[in-house]
Amino acid sequence: MVSVESEKGEQAVTPKACCGTALAVVVLLSACGRSAPDSAGGTKPEDASANSRSERGEPAEIVTSSGVAMVSLPGGEFVMGTDKGNPDEAPAHKVKVSAFLIDKYEVTHEMFTKVQLPNPSHWQDNPKKPVERVRWRDAKQYCNERSLLEGLKPCYDEKTADWDCDYAANGYRLPTEAEWEYACRAGAEGPYDFGQPDKLRQYAWFADNAGEKTHVAGEKKPNRWGIFDLYGNVSEWCEDVYSPTYYKESPPVDPRGPPNPGKDVQRVMRGGSWKASADMCRASFRQGQRTGDSDACFFTDYCGFRCVRRASPDELRQLKIKAK
Amino acid sequence: MFTPKRRPGPRRPGCGRRALFAYAIFTSVLSLLLSPAVVAQVPLRKTLQSAPFKIAYETYTNDNWEIFVMNADGSHALNLTRTPNEHEHYPQVSPDGTKICFSVDAGEGRDTIRSLFVMDVDGGNRKKLVDHAREPFWSPDSKVIGFLPQEYPKFNVIDYYTQGMSFYDLNTGKIEAHVNSTNLHHLYNPCFAPNGKWIVATVHAGMGVSHAILLIAAHGTNIINLNIPGCRPCISPDGKQIAWGSGDHEVDAAPIDLDSDSPVVGTWRLRIQDKTNETYHVDWSPDSRFLSLSRGPASKGDPTKRGTFQSACEIVGVYAPGWNLCAVSAEREGILDLNQATDADFTMLTTNGLSNKESAWFRSNPKKESKR
Repeated sequence: MVSVESEKGEQAVTPKACCGTALAVVVLLSACGRSAPDSAGGTKPEDASANSRSERGEPAEIVTSSGVAMVSLPGGEFVMGTDKGNPDEAPAHKVKVSAFLIDKYEVTHEMFTKVQLPNPSHWQDNPKKPVERVRWRDAKQYCNERSLLEGLKPCYDEKTADWDCDYAANGYRLPTEAEWEYACRAGAEGPYDFGQPDKLRQYAWFADNAGEKTHVAGEKKPNRWGIFDLYGNVSEWCEDVYSPTYYKESPPVDPRGPPNPGKDVQRVMRGGSWKASADMCRASFRQGQRTGDSDACFFTDYCGFRCVRRASPDELRQLKIKAK
Repeated sequence: MFTPKRRPGPRRPGCGRRALFAYAIFTSVLSLLLSPAVVAQVPLRKTLQSAPFKIAYETYTNDNWEIFVMNADGSHALNLTRTPNEHEHYPQVSPDGTKICFSVDAGEGRDTIRSLFVMDVDGGNRKKLVDHAREPFWSPDSKVIGFLPQEYPKFNVIDYYTQGMSFYDLNTGKIEAHVNSTNLHHLYNPCFAPNGKWIVATVHAGMGVSHAILLIAAHGTNIINLNIPGCRPCISPDGKQIAWGSGDHEVDAAPIDLDSDSPVVGTWRLRIQDKTNETYHVDWSPDSRFLSLSRGPASKGDPTKRGTFQSACEIVGVYAPGWNLCAVSAEREGILDLNQATDADFTMLTTNGLSNKESAWFRSNPKKESKR
């Protein structure tokens, strides 16, 4: 008998609880991050409150009704992009972002299959690994399924060609590029919120340390707002159409990307991955990625995602009380 | 244009100068006589006109998926289903040419229920077999229909949304799981080998592999990775060849020894290419002499159309604008570029572009044929 073997002979990874019952506790994220700013190497992370004007208090962890850990971020203003990176990251510009909730971890295999979606991932050895080979539409479908599971109004209209997003709906959706960078920077400036680039190994699975595979979500240190794997493991889909020149014309409040050009559309992917160089893991690094929506099998094995959603102040208050 | 594979040339005659001259004259005249301009090759359509075959296929017409049957040359297309509130697709004709099994979608969106049905080749005696199942395939004796149960109860259009494998016995109405069913995950597009020993199928993100075309023992636990790229394999009725989509724009046919305990796919002998359109859903004629395939532009469907979903347009239930069926001679060798092929090599079977996909050949009059 010839047995079917994995195409990649990767070692089994010990399961590690990342989003289970242990998360059902509100964690004030000032305790998660490091309080002492790192001032070396031209990177000057500051306390979260210094660069973001909190509208609804400090970042706080909540657990959704379906058991997913999220971080509630206050609205605020930050400097998006950089003048010291690639041309598409310039110009650095101030952006205001409204308050939102963001997944504490990248969406994992077990989260994906919980809403009865077929797991497309290349690496199947641990259900707590982030899903990859996810097409842009598949990620949006997950958002809608999770919304329905929790009795929320889905954001995406599945009867439109691009599954148009209703930003006013209270369901899950992909982050805008601005929301993603705001969450990643966590109030800091510079390429990484943790300061020195040589600390990247502590915060991210990337090409230098990942061993050419994904890893269980949440194994590395979180950023100072308590969000894991933003810098690595898998890159993350955003809602926005990718345009290398968008920063020259983007609105200053809650930018949602340029209009769909209708042909050869690329969507924004953010964050490094197991396949990315350290430079690609920077908070401001941008890349456009074809969606794969017309491919039956999407083989880009570093494409993952996480969800965000907007909650009313009352709902947020209730979520925090429930988590306590 | 048809480009044959390079083969050894004829042995040259003696080495005298006169002999060489005579040989040169002879080969020049011969090549002139055999050139397409001189030799009137029989158009494939004409060959198919006299072939004793028909072809079933799915098409989207009047806001509805239906199963049609046409003659092997594409003439006399007939709607077999005519059900405005149900969507029929993925027709598979029994090897004895008497019945068609197919999938049916009822309901809309995520509330859709996909079921399997069987009917006579004239559309009569329609009967439901099972719910929440897809991608049926026939046993060589035409008595059993294999199928892939859905991975979860909630509908999803993705083709590899399957868990396990089961068999429906047409005589008893009983469903039996494959002996290795619990280890079969994310298979799609299965097809029985004519000797009944193997089932060939594609797997995506399941069974410990990223993506592969597998041979699965029909009555055991043996599984062999054929190590060929692509998807949607189909075994020729004579059991000697396998055809499959080796890429979005390419279909290959190659020899395979399915009587072996460890079958291996040989070097491809026919490669059908179309750099403009995607090519999918290859199927063999009952005599293993012709191939049909679906062909059209890449797209992600049109979710505004009733009973359709958004995904890759080769997937069952996804509207494929501009897609048509075509046929080629499977006896050719080398590369056949559909954008340059002559009508001797290739013919379109449909031209209306109404999402014509999933063709399945069968003998038009099986009883008459078997008496020959």
